[in-house]
Amino acid sequence: MADKAVTIRTRKFMTNRLLSRKQFIVDVLHPGRPNVSKVELKEKLASLYEVKDPNTIFVFKFRTHFGGGKSTGFGLIYDSVENAKKYEPKYRLIRNGLDTNVEKSRKQLKERKNRAKKVRGVKKVRSLVSFVMVS
Amino acid sequence: MMEETKNLDLDRSIKKEAPQLAALLKEMKGVLDTVTSKVQALTAKVKANDFPTAGGISYLEAKHLLLLNYCQSLVYYSLRKAKGLSIEKHPVVQSLIEIRLFLEKIRPIDQKMEYQVQKLTRDIGRAAEQLNLKEKESEATEKSEDLLKYHPNPEMLVSRSDMMAEDGNAVYRPPKIAPTLMEEDKMSKQERNALRREKETQRRAKEGYMKDLIDDLEGRPEEVRENVGNESREFIRYQQQWEERAQREEELFTRAPVTKMEKKKEKHLKKSRDGLLALTDGFFDEIKTLPLEGDTGDQTKNFNNGSSATGRLKKRKRRY
Repeated sequence: MADKAVTIRTRKFMTNRLLSRKQFIVDVLHPGRPNVSKVELKEKLASLYEVKDPNTIFVFKFRTHFGGGKSTGFGLIYDSVENAKKYEPKYRLIRNGLDTNVEKSRKQLKERKNRAKKVRGVKKVRSLVSFVMVS
Repeated sequence: MMEETKNLDLDRSIKKEAPQLAALLKEMKGVLDTVTSKVQALTAKVKANDFPTAGGISYLEAKHLLLLNYCQSLVYYSLRKAKGLSIEKHPVVQSLIEIRLFLEKIRPIDQKMEYQVQKLTRDIGRAAEQLNLKEKESEATEKSEDLLKYHPNPEMLVSRSDMMAEDGNAVYRPPKIAPTLMEEDKMSKQERNALRREKETQRRAKEGYMKDLIDDLEGRPEEVRENVGNESREFIRYQQQWEERAQREEELFTRAPVTKMEKKKEKHLKKSRDGLLALTDGFFDEIKTLPLEGDTGDQTKNFNNGSSATGRLKKRKRRY
């Protein structure tokens, strides 16, 4: 794509000491271009705020205004990756690559639950363990 | 110099407040006199054993003691203040605060005990009467109503049929079953419709077809507004809603989920119609007043714009 001008502005900047992060609203102006990718936005924000580790930047909930050319969303910059891992919800960590998604087979989970329904009380734990080893 | 002016000010304020103070003190003295006389009467009666006060509700006894204590501390506090002694870090202040705190805390208990206390006072009065009179029927009544039991009394219920007034003059009074709110300024449907029609005419006189006619008649210059054709009323309203919503979302740093209705409306408005959405905006307003064939009084036909976003789903119909 031809490098059309992408302008980023931040509004309502706030330092959240309780969650050890900085949070703000990101306004992206991208006339003539479809939505800007989150990776690109993170790079630009890293250069804007002089962040050493772009892994601590999270951008989400972007919405394009009517007619295109402008989108608004939220952004967070954590003090460190450990803080980010502590406070961020799992799906955002997965998006940033800081966590892996455990693919749980839905069918297995349901079977497990149905087996547990037949047994009452502490025996459930033992029965589940045995069945896990079998399956 | 400064001290003299200060003293003068003090003197002036004292002179102003002195008569007020004197009046207050007189009032206090009068009230105190009545209180002492009443208390003396009460104590005389108690000594004569007219009121058996043993075995009462211990909670009330405790409350009385607290109140007495509070009054005493208050009196001592005001005495110290009147004599000009300092009250800082005096234990009286602390005890005052403590007792006040206790009194505030037992207030809800008061409310809960109200029913029991009332019942007790009533029943004790009745029991005293019965003792004095020594009725022979007392045995029968004791079995039917045990006075000290606090269970619900189904005989006290008022049946619905009783509540209807036996009015022989054929004035129907509906039975009061559920509590309703009586609105004083409630307008009838006709009044509300009339009000709406008036507002409509006023609005039309300010903008739209009628305005042009009136301006022409009165010889006023023609007014031209730019860019009205592009943005229909629907769209403007939609934009306003979205802006408000965006503002709130930014404030709270969250996003509200978009409902299905909103998605449908958005889709409807984003369908490109080359800016023709506003063409038929004021059409209905203009032809409403014209006498069309087959019209009946209040109800005129609803010539809505071709296919509005909420056309099928709008509940309120414009029939005024």
